[in-house]
Amino acid sequence: MQIRQILGSRSVPEHFVVATLFGIALCVALFSDNLFLQDAIILTLMWAGLASAWNIAGGLAGQISLGHAAFFGLGAYTSTLIKIHLGWSPWIGMLCGGVLVVVVSGFIAFAATRLRGPYFALLTLAFAAVVQIIAARWYSFTRGNEGLAIAFQPGLGNFIFTDKLSWTIVIIVFVLVLYSIGVWNARSRFGFQLAGMREDEDAAQAIGIDTRMLKVATIAVSAFFTALGGTFYAQYVGFLDPGYVLSVDLSVKFALMCIIGGLGTPSGPILGAILITALEMYLRAKWGGARSGLYLMVYGVLLILIVRLMPEGLVRGIPKWLKGRRRARAA
Amino acid sequence: MDALPQLIASAIVLGGIYALVSIGLTLIFGVMRIVNFAHGEFLMLSMYLAIGLSTMIGVDPYIGLFVAIPLSLVFGAAVYYIVVRPVIARPHVVQIFTTLGLSIVLQNAALFFWTANFRQLRLSYGDQVLVIAGAAITMPQLIAFAVAALFTAVLFAWLRFTFLGKAMRATAQDPKAATLMGIDTGKILLIAFLVGTMCVCVAGMLMAPLFSTYPTVGLQFVLVAFVVVVLGGLGSAVGALVGALIVAFLDVIGGFYVGTAWKEVLYFVVFIAVLLLRPAGLLGQRGAEELGR
Repeated sequence: MQIRQILGSRSVPEHFVVATLFGIALCVALFSDNLFLQDAIILTLMWAGLASAWNIAGGLAGQISLGHAAFFGLGAYTSTLIKIHLGWSPWIGMLCGGVLVVVVSGFIAFAATRLRGPYFALLTLAFAAVVQIIAARWYSFTRGNEGLAIAFQPGLGNFIFTDKLSWTIVIIVFVLVLYSIGVWNARSRFGFQLAGMREDEDAAQAIGIDTRMLKVATIAVSAFFTALGGTFYAQYVGFLDPGYVLSVDLSVKFALMCIIGGLGTPSGPILGAILITALEMYLRAKWGGARSGLYLMVYGVLLILIVRLMPEGLVRGIPKWLKGRRRARAA
Repeated sequence: MDALPQLIASAIVLGGIYALVSIGLTLIFGVMRIVNFAHGEFLMLSMYLAIGLSTMIGVDPYIGLFVAIPLSLVFGAAVYYIVVRPVIARPHVVQIFTTLGLSIVLQNAALFFWTANFRQLRLSYGDQVLVIAGAAITMPQLIAFAVAALFTAVLFAWLRFTFLGKAMRATAQDPKAATLMGIDTGKILLIAFLVGTMCVCVAGMLMAPLFSTYPTVGLQFVLVAFVVVVLGGLGSAVGALVGALIVAFLDVIGGFYVGTAWKEVLYFVVFIAVLLLRPAGLLGQRGAEELGR
C-alpha cells in the first residue's frame, strides 16, 4: 500500500524516494567500509546524472541524440588536457569543457533545427563519430587510442579525493541539480512550451513558441551537464580512451537509462540508472567471464522489450499498470 | 599521377559494393521510414555466413549466394515479424531503440559464437590480378563489382518497370495515398524489408573475401551506408548509387592524398554538411526530413 501510494501519486513522494536514495548513498559512504558498494553507488549516481542530462534534450525537448558521448568525451578530454598542458585545476577545466560543449552543441542544434526524428539522431551520431576519430588519430595531442591517464595527486584543488565520502557528496550535488531542473521544468512556462514542441512542433510554432530557441537552449544545457559528468568520470576513474568515452555504446547507454526509467520525468533517469547499473553488474558477474557477449545480448533483448512494452518508462508505466490491475479486480 | 587509374578503379569497385549495402538501407528507410541501425549487423552476419560456408563445407562464397539469398529472406521475415512490425506505427524513439537493441543483440551474439578474432576468407584464386588500363584489380574485387552491378541493375529495373516496384515507390512517396489506390502497404513494407535484407546479404557475401570479418565490422560499413543514403536522398535508389560512388571516391582518393587515418573524417564532414545544408539529399524528395514520418 505504502509503495503503491509513493509510486502512484505525483512529485512529493517522488522527492521523498529520491531523497531516501541520496540518504542511503551518504550513509553507505559514511558508515560502511564496503569499498565495492561505495564505488558502485558513486558510479550509479554518475550514470543517473548523465542520464538526467540526456533527458533534458531527449526527454523534455524530444530531441533524440545519439551523440552525447561526444559531449561527455569533450568534457573529459578538455579538463584532462588543460590539467596536463596548462596545469590548471580540473575544476576550471571542467567549466572550460562545459563552455566549449555549450558552444559546439548550440551550434549543432541551431544548424539542425529543421531535422526531425531519425535525422537528428543520425546527425548527432555522425558528429560523435567525427570527434571519436579525431581523438583517436590526433596522437600528439590526445595520445590517441593509448588513452590518457590522470595523475593521482589527491587534493580538493586537483579534484581527486582519497575518501569515497567526498566523491559521493560531489556526485550527489550533480544529480540533485539535474533533478531540480527536471522538477522545475515540469511546472514552469518553459516546460510547458517544451511539452508543446515535443507533442506537435508545427502547432507550437503556430501559437508563437520559438522552437529553434527552445531546441538550442535545451540541447546546450543537456550537453553542458554531460560535459561536467565527463570531467567527473575522468577524475574518478583516472583514465580516458576514445574507444570508450566517445563511443556510440556510451551515447546509447545514456539514452537507454533514461528511456527505461521514463522519458521526460525527473526521477526516471535516476531509477533507470540504478536498474541498468545493477543489471550490468549482475549479468557481468554471472556470465561475463564465461563467454563475453552474452550479457550484452540480454541487455539488447531487454532494450527491445522495454521500449515496446513500456515506452513511457517504469516511473509512469508501473503506476499505470497497477491502476489497471486494480480496476480490473474491481470490475 | 601514375596512381590515378588505380585510384579510380578502386573507387569504382568500392562504390559498387557500397551501393549494394546502401540500396538495402535506403529501401527500408524510404518505404518504412525506419532507420535500421541493425543493417550493419545483417552485413556482418552474412560475412560470417560466407566464411562458414567456405571453411566448413568448402562452398565458394559466390556459389554460396544461392544458399545465402533464401536464408536471408527467412531471416529477414523473422526479424520483420518479431522485431520490426510491432513498432512500425510507434514513435521514433521506440523505432530507433528497437533497431539499436537488435544491433546490440546480433553484435554480441557474433561475439559469443565466433569470438572477437579477426577472420579473413582466403580464396584459391584470390591473388589473381587483372590489369585493366593501368589499374590492377584482384579477382574477388572484380567478381564483387560485377555481381553488385548486376544486382543493382536488376533492382533498378524491378523498381522501375514491375507493378510491385511501382507500388513500392508509391508507398515511399505517400503511404496514405498508396493505400487509397488499393496498394496493400503492409505487404509492401514486408517486401521492402526483405529486399533490403537480401541486398545487404549479397553485399556481405561479396565483401567477405575483401575485408576482415569481426563482430563489429558492421558498424564501420553501416556508418558509410548512412552517409550514402542521406547524401543520395531518402528512399532514392538512384541517389544511393550516386552517393555510393561519391563516398567511394572520397574514401579512396581522400585515403591516398589525406592519409587513411583521416579519410573517415572527410566523409563524415560531408555527411554533416549535407544534413545541415540539404537534408533531403541530392536526389531525395524535398522536405521529407521535416515530415519525419
